[in-house]
Amino acid sequence: MATITQSGTQPGTQPGRRSHAVRANLIALPILLVIGLVWIYPFLWTISAAFKTQAGMFTSGASLVPDQLNFDNFARAWVNAGFSGYFFNTVLYSVVSTLIELVKAALCGYVLARYDFPGRTLLYRMIVGTLFIPVASIIVPQFVLIENLGLLNTRAGVILAMSGGAGALYVLLFVGFFSSVPADLFEAAKLDGAGFLKTFRLILPLAKPVIAVVVIFQFISSWNEFNIPLVFTLGQPDLQNLAVGMMSFQGEYVTDWTGFAAGMTISFLPMLMIFLFFQNYFTRGLAGATKG
Amino acid sequence: MTTTAPAAAPGREKVTDRDRPPAERVPERVDHSRERVRGLDRVWLLVFLAPFLLLYLGFTIWPLIATIYYSFFDWTGIGPIDDFVGIGNYSSILVDPLFWLSVVNTLVFAVLTTVIKLPISLVAAILLTRKWLRGKRFFRTMFFAPLIIPVAMAGMVFTYLLNPSNGALNAILRDLGLVDQGFDVFANRWSALLVLVLVAVWQIFGQYMIYWMAALQNVPEELYEAAAIDGASEWKKLTRITLPMIKPVAVIITLLGLVNAMHVFGLVVTLTAGGPGTSTYVVSYFIYQNAFGAVPFAYGYASAAALLFSVIAFVLVSAQGLAVRRAQRLRKEYGV
Repeated sequence: MATITQSGTQPGTQPGRRSHAVRANLIALPILLVIGLVWIYPFLWTISAAFKTQAGMFTSGASLVPDQLNFDNFARAWVNAGFSGYFFNTVLYSVVSTLIELVKAALCGYVLARYDFPGRTLLYRMIVGTLFIPVASIIVPQFVLIENLGLLNTRAGVILAMSGGAGALYVLLFVGFFSSVPADLFEAAKLDGAGFLKTFRLILPLAKPVIAVVVIFQFISSWNEFNIPLVFTLGQPDLQNLAVGMMSFQGEYVTDWTGFAAGMTISFLPMLMIFLFFQNYFTRGLAGATKG
Repeated sequence: MTTTAPAAAPGREKVTDRDRPPAERVPERVDHSRERVRGLDRVWLLVFLAPFLLLYLGFTIWPLIATIYYSFFDWTGIGPIDDFVGIGNYSSILVDPLFWLSVVNTLVFAVLTTVIKLPISLVAAILLTRKWLRGKRFFRTMFFAPLIIPVAMAGMVFTYLLNPSNGALNAILRDLGLVDQGFDVFANRWSALLVLVLVAVWQIFGQYMIYWMAALQNVPEELYEAAAIDGASEWKKLTRITLPMIKPVAVIITLLGLVNAMHVFGLVVTLTAGGPGTSTYVVSYFIYQNAFGAVPFAYGYASAAALLFSVIAFVLVSAQGLAVRRAQRLRKEYGV
């Protein structure tokens, strides 16, 4: 992305082109801005609702200006409704399952790309074949498996289920990347006397773009994961993540909307920071990983 | 399910390679550089494979086999699996109107979301990678933002925004004088489905925008430079260079889009809960309700439903893949 912005100044040196670009911007920017504001209206609404009182919510629910700056909702969401716990669980599940996915995909992808061994083709074909299996269709046996391991209603159980099923795509990304590493590099490492492990340690840093993609994808998907935490924590609300836990605001008759909005505001701000921070890495990494 | 794919004989790798889409072919390309393992390295090989293999066998392969096995039993999850019913579950499902309703809803949802989200995210991606555009970072963040809230949460927010008494939608409709009373989008099957589709598109949009942006970045810059020298217009560059170049990736993105949409679950739980009545049930919700929704749990029945839908989905997806491949081959033959 950085490269685009830099080269973007180049055509501007010609005066004719510059006025063309200015005109295009004059048309595009207002349109984008209007669509963009509608697009993020739910966010703005959520943030403003987080400050509203229950009465203010009732009388002017759709308005973006809170009737007063009321911080009670945040306290209620964080302490009483247990959002601190949900938040902790979500971070834990996302971080650990991302680590597991990354390690297992990198190791397996490396071996599949580098070495020939009995059953290699079969394994590769199986991974491709199971790429598109929906979670919902195999969740019952996964549930039975976790139950038999004695991990039902534990954090370990949720993490295992979250990082067990997915990952075929990540392995393929790593296989693709490691296959494209020039053979000379491996030869050079061998000449220097590097063994199996040492060679891997030398090559791995080259895979940074793929690592970035796997981390971001898996982190987002486990942050948003709903089906697995819901099923695997049916008996234990204090193990739930944000996505499942926030349903506790949805009461039988009334829903505590201001509390929910406050909880949601708390939960999306950190992710927004992470995205802003990694934004460049994201597209560049994805472009690098799919290249070839 | 998809397990039938890997059954092809390993020896024919070279022949089948050419027929596969590019993304799958990549890893096989540098075949010659792969070496055999010797001595102690064999142990390392196993150590490297072990984490993936263990989880893969436990959480993907075994569940697949178990799903098939369970589907022939009447099992509530308690006690031994001994009530063999043969194809009983299947014959009940084939005449279960709720299952077929769920299948139709899921397919309608998957096709509609894909048809809507792919073109508009492509347009957004093209626009947001233009060199002349100002504030690219800002707009990208805006359109990407919904992805960071869990889809189930997004569902909750929209149940409020669309509620008939004081939600935003009805506030606007009232201000415009279009309705005088609250209009409840969740009261009708088709409007409720449409809301599911639109909210799903809104939430996942950023992900597809990023996919397209990555595809666009991989188009070699030299092509555009050459075209610029030949005096090609922006539109020509787009239709003659950009779109043809990203076509192989587009096939994969479409496939991902369709399959991911077929998994829809969290949104349905929070947005419509299958309602009104049971009219917006989707397959994953049907499975969930049967397996975990109410006692006695019907694991066998749910497994049969899961399997049946997986087969339906697999057939549809591979049919689409085949159709695309055939079209590509025909086009290549006639040089169009």
